[in-house]
Amino acid sequence: MAAHPTRRVVLAAAAALPLAAASGCDGVDVLAAPPRPGPAVSLLRSAIAAEQLMVARYEAALDGAGAPAAVLEPLLSEHRAHLAQLRSRLVVPAGSPSPSPSPSGRRAGAPAVPASPAAALAYLRAAEQTAAAAMLDRLPHAPASLAQLLASISASEATHVPVLDAAAADRTGQAPG
Amino acid sequence: MSGHTPPAAAPATLDALQSALAAEHAAVYGYGVVGANLTGSQMAAATADWVAHQVARDTLEAMIRSRGGEPAAAAAAYQLPVTVRTPGEAAALAVLLEDRIAAAYLGLVALSGTALRRFGALQVRAAALRGAAWRGSTVAFPGLSAAALAAPRRRAT
Repeated sequence: MAAHPTRRVVLAAAAALPLAAASGCDGVDVLAAPPRPGPAVSLLRSAIAAEQLMVARYEAALDGAGAPAAVLEPLLSEHRAHLAQLRSRLVVPAGSPSPSPSPSGRRAGAPAVPASPAAALAYLRAAEQTAAAAMLDRLPHAPASLAQLLASISASEATHVPVLDAAAADRTGQAPG
Repeated sequence: MSGHTPPAAAPATLDALQSALAAEHAAVYGYGVVGANLTGSQMAAATADWVAHQVARDTLEAMIRSRGGEPAAAAAAYQLPVTVRTPGEAAALAVLLEDRIAAAYLGLVALSGTALRRFGALQVRAAALRGAAWRGSTVAFPGLSAAALAAPRRRAT
């Protein structure tokens, strides 16, 4: 619906001239706080596992018949970015056993994504909603910087839902089945 | 001091709420400019978002007052970060406004209260949804700067 300003243009504009007149305080500064070991680590591992699952679901959907790759690929790459960012926060002491042996999250038993494109889109939509809600449920016990990352990821996942809806509407508008 | 004065909240809480309020004031102003440069369904979308920001502004003002703070007033005018003369430029401004709103509400997510965190996160989500609609695409990390993502453990706060 909107015109398509490129992200680069928008970010450049953002850098050029801050809009806020009232306050220079940037709430994102607190992001720099490091995650503590302990509860934060198990929280982080559960978030990593959730993103691995989302990556695997999209990969399986793209492997299947007829899913619109032009729609799914950008969403998959955002999930991969989520996963990479979460992993970068995981500080595992040297010598600890790694709980995630599969680095890409691929093919450790691929999720069973429905074969029909319409059903695959509905499956991914439900998965996004569940994942976004689960990210919010991790907030209370997360250190500040991790909580901000989880909230941002949850918001990103929420924005995938209307994209999948639009793709489903396109399909029904074009050709049934 | 009257008996009705609520107990003051932690300074960090009030600071984060005031930052979010400042971003909402700017968005309310900015969406006026956005809508003025649009027509039809795009203008309707801008109006809906404008109203959403007014509601959020009122909510934040009430939250600040209930915590013993005084909500900061809006500036008389805001210098817009982009020149807006076309529908494309109007959409670009809306994207920019929503990015700033998302960043401001992430400040609430960094606080220690569970309810404030959730409120902040839901507002980040709302901003991300509006921003994605204006941008025409999604982003992986609404509200987070590239610098924050590049060096998450650079310094302890």
